[in-house]
Amino acid sequence: MTGGSKGHGFPVDLRLSPAGEELDMSRRNLLRGLGLAGVAAAGGALGLVAYRDEAQAATVEGVSGQEHQWCRVVDLRACKGERKCVAACQERHGLPPEQTWMRTLSWHDEAGKEFFMPVMCQMCQNPPCLKVCPVSATIKTDQGVVLVDQDQCIGSRACMAACPYEARYFNWNEPAPTHRMPAPSPNTPQFPANQVGTVGKCVLCADWIPYSNQLPACVEACPRGAHFIGDLVTDVAVNGQSTVRLSTFLREGNAVRFKEELGTDSRCYYIPGNGQPVGGPLVGVQ
Amino acid sequence: MSSILESTAVADRQVDVIEAAMRPFRRASKRFWLAIALLTVVVVVGIAAWMYQLRQGMGVAGYTDSSFWAIYIADVVAIIGVSYGGAVVSAILLLTGASWRAPLVRLSEGMALVTVVVGAAFIIPHLGRPDRLMGMVIHANVASPVFWDMMAILTYTFATFVFFLLPLVPDTAILLGAHPDQLGRGRRLLFRFVSRGWVGSTHQRRVLHSAMVIVAIVIIPLAVSVHSVLAWAFALVSRPGWHESIWAPYFVIAALYSGVALVILVTAGFRRGYHLEAFITQKHFVRLGYIMVALGAVYFYLTFADLLPSAYVGEVGPTDIIHGMLLGPVAVWFWLFLVAGTILPLALVAIPRTRNIWGIGIAAVLVVIAMWIKRVIMVTETSGYDRLTNSFGDLFRFTWVSVSVTLGGVAAIPLLLMLLFRVVPLLSIADVQETTDETVEGVPELAVPGGSSHGRAVGAAGAVILLVVMLGTWGVTRAQPAHAASNPAVPTAGTARAIGAVTAIEVVVTAVEDGAENTLTARVNAANKPVAGALVNFYESTTMFAPGNNLVPLGAVQTDRTGTAELTYVAAVTGPRTISATYLPSFLGDPVTGTAILDVKEAVSRYQPPPAQALARAGETLAFTLFGLIIIVVITLIAQVARVRRACRPVANGSIEQASAT
Repeated sequence: MTGGSKGHGFPVDLRLSPAGEELDMSRRNLLRGLGLAGVAAAGGALGLVAYRDEAQAATVEGVSGQEHQWCRVVDLRACKGERKCVAACQERHGLPPEQTWMRTLSWHDEAGKEFFMPVMCQMCQNPPCLKVCPVSATIKTDQGVVLVDQDQCIGSRACMAACPYEARYFNWNEPAPTHRMPAPSPNTPQFPANQVGTVGKCVLCADWIPYSNQLPACVEACPRGAHFIGDLVTDVAVNGQSTVRLSTFLREGNAVRFKEELGTDSRCYYIPGNGQPVGGPLVGVQ
Repeated sequence: MSSILESTAVADRQVDVIEAAMRPFRRASKRFWLAIALLTVVVVVGIAAWMYQLRQGMGVAGYTDSSFWAIYIADVVAIIGVSYGGAVVSAILLLTGASWRAPLVRLSEGMALVTVVVGAAFIIPHLGRPDRLMGMVIHANVASPVFWDMMAILTYTFATFVFFLLPLVPDTAILLGAHPDQLGRGRRLLFRFVSRGWVGSTHQRRVLHSAMVIVAIVIIPLAVSVHSVLAWAFALVSRPGWHESIWAPYFVIAALYSGVALVILVTAGFRRGYHLEAFITQKHFVRLGYIMVALGAVYFYLTFADLLPSAYVGEVGPTDIIHGMLLGPVAVWFWLFLVAGTILPLALVAIPRTRNIWGIGIAAVLVVIAMWIKRVIMVTETSGYDRLTNSFGDLFRFTWVSVSVTLGGVAAIPLLLMLLFRVVPLLSIADVQETTDETVEGVPELAVPGGSSHGRAVGAAGAVILLVVMLGTWGVTRAQPAHAASNPAVPTAGTARAIGAVTAIEVVVTAVEDGAENTLTARVNAANKPVAGALVNFYESTTMFAPGNNLVPLGAVQTDRTGTAELTYVAAVTGPRTISATYLPSFLGDPVTGTAILDVKEAVSRYQPPPAQALARAGETLAFTLFGLIIIVVITLIAQVARVRRACRPVANGSIEQASAT
């Protein structure tokens, strides 16, 4: 609940360690010092090369960031490992079997019971993949969706190295033709079909959500309603079966984020359940 | 010009130098052409394999999603790495005034130039879409370490070229003066262009030496920056095994180590091929061998220092990587590297019996191959490690395509060197002359008053470049998003009521707006009597995600004795919505619902954009400062060429006539 005042982005403070804030402050001071040094040393700005940081990414699509900030919630209590979300995603995006934008990890507890956890692009707000791309092909829309511009990707795979969630895949061969562009969405450069020699990843069915009321394929496919698509601004999340008030749902479910310690500020919340740990399955992984 | 001719007449040794430097210009032997033909075939096969890879996709090179970075990036690191060895033998030995470097410098500078070009070229097969290479310039992301790689490599390549070019000015003049008729038309034209105006006066020599000192000072930090940035392409991601603070210096030492080894090999090869035994003696190899094993010992130490902290702490990812290296899937290769790459070379140089050209040559071969293996291990092992399951996926498998492309690049190095030294002299004639008749000439090698202050200034500039590279890394990666302020809402009170009536039970809902807080009241009556203790669920409607009105639960409240349930809530968005309250009279019965319309004028979203950081653009500033510094470096390098040219200018026309006359 104190997250808002800390400038954390979301009112429910999901950070585990309060030490993070101190670190942040000292880093900011350090950065201020570095900035002054940099300004002092600056020999004049050169307008030769476009500089893309998140400040600039925020202006990519006008002001609609005030209307929606997409996120997703995975209710692990409901997941029974049927992998229907995975199948629906493969089908929707025409992916080859070795390229799964969504994976369902599974492991066993001591009693031999199996637990599951779907992992896909976590839509980080501080995306490691965005920083390392040499050609600015990874973008973050102002609604918080991280996407790859398939027309600009050079195939350096630096983002694959950077992603802590292993959520990126390379099109090693010519991909099957896909129909990622249904009628309501405008033709933007962000959403062309997969191309050979470029990197692909979960797009949160971003060609659907802002333009139609169709839910992402994985959300629609889950028969147990484990996948939610949410909007932080309107504070609503749906799983195709029920609608919840996002903040209440996360607070009451003790939601956590995967690999919080990496500072990626992800937009994917996991509601833990059945006692399985979130992330880092260490023993007995399939 | 006359002074050169006099000095060539003085010592017999100098005639030998000129003769030896021109040996590659003579009609080449059958063995030479056979070697050229063989190397060309290997290069052509490599290029053909790359074309096949372009057509078939990168899968044919053995790449998969679990080995997304593999052999080609290891080739980039290994081949650009050896380039630094050429630069160090020449630059550091120049700055320390080690006169024994003289017969080695041209070969090592040529090697530095050729290998940096070949190594950089390996980025192209590494890319999935080489057709979009221009994107590195037109869509460049200044925050990306891969972009820094490009900038550092380009600057370093230019510096290597200048470093190679400047000493050619006196050498080509000497050759034109000595044997213009034996050079052939093409070389004569080229040499006249390079050496125009050079007469070998004391002033010209002093200017050239001072220019060389400055370029040598610039090239050392530039090479350090190249290998640091190559390391940061790995170390700036959070992958276990790569995310190591030691990696930048580790790569620099690796580059020096393998580079000195390749200098030994190139020197040995050309010494044998062109019978340069009179100039390059066993002493040279022993000295290079000492330098090599000293660097090897440092590399061994850094390898240990790299592994120990992770192994000691036992964090899962890094521990798995180390386990994989010592006992797991790449253990064979790692131990091969350790024995063949550090222990055997050390032994070969340390044992007096093997401390000769053959022993040191074998040690150098071992080092070059083992260091390449080490780079492949470093890249492929971590690349194949899945951080979600903490297990190794399919590790990289060599295919004929990737091996052919790599061999093609490797063969291109001797091929280009052999062709290069058919065009330019392979010995630095002026340097060899100066070291042999230092006493006669009276031009002390480092006593150049004009150059040293310049050198200091440029050295400082180099240090600043390095500092800013590091600061830039920091700043750019910390750049945070800036966000617009949230929407303001005008506070107005709006009231609406509606009655949801069912036969006997009814729920009457009232929704009142008071500033941002909305008070929802539901009164539950059964046959006009209030129902106490009834659980009422409140909902608001939303049009998010689905057409029509979806109900968002706001909470459940029990009615009090007057049959009233009250809930205060803050709406996230403004606009009209339907408020409903539902009461379930019995477990099996139908729910009773009452609704009211609430037009929210003032809403507070619980989403708060992260605040804009005061210095969100500091990274950008630093990055552009870096560009400024790169431009300063390039200007410094160009200025050195210009200085030498200016020193040649006053007597330019006369000297060419003189040269052609003799």
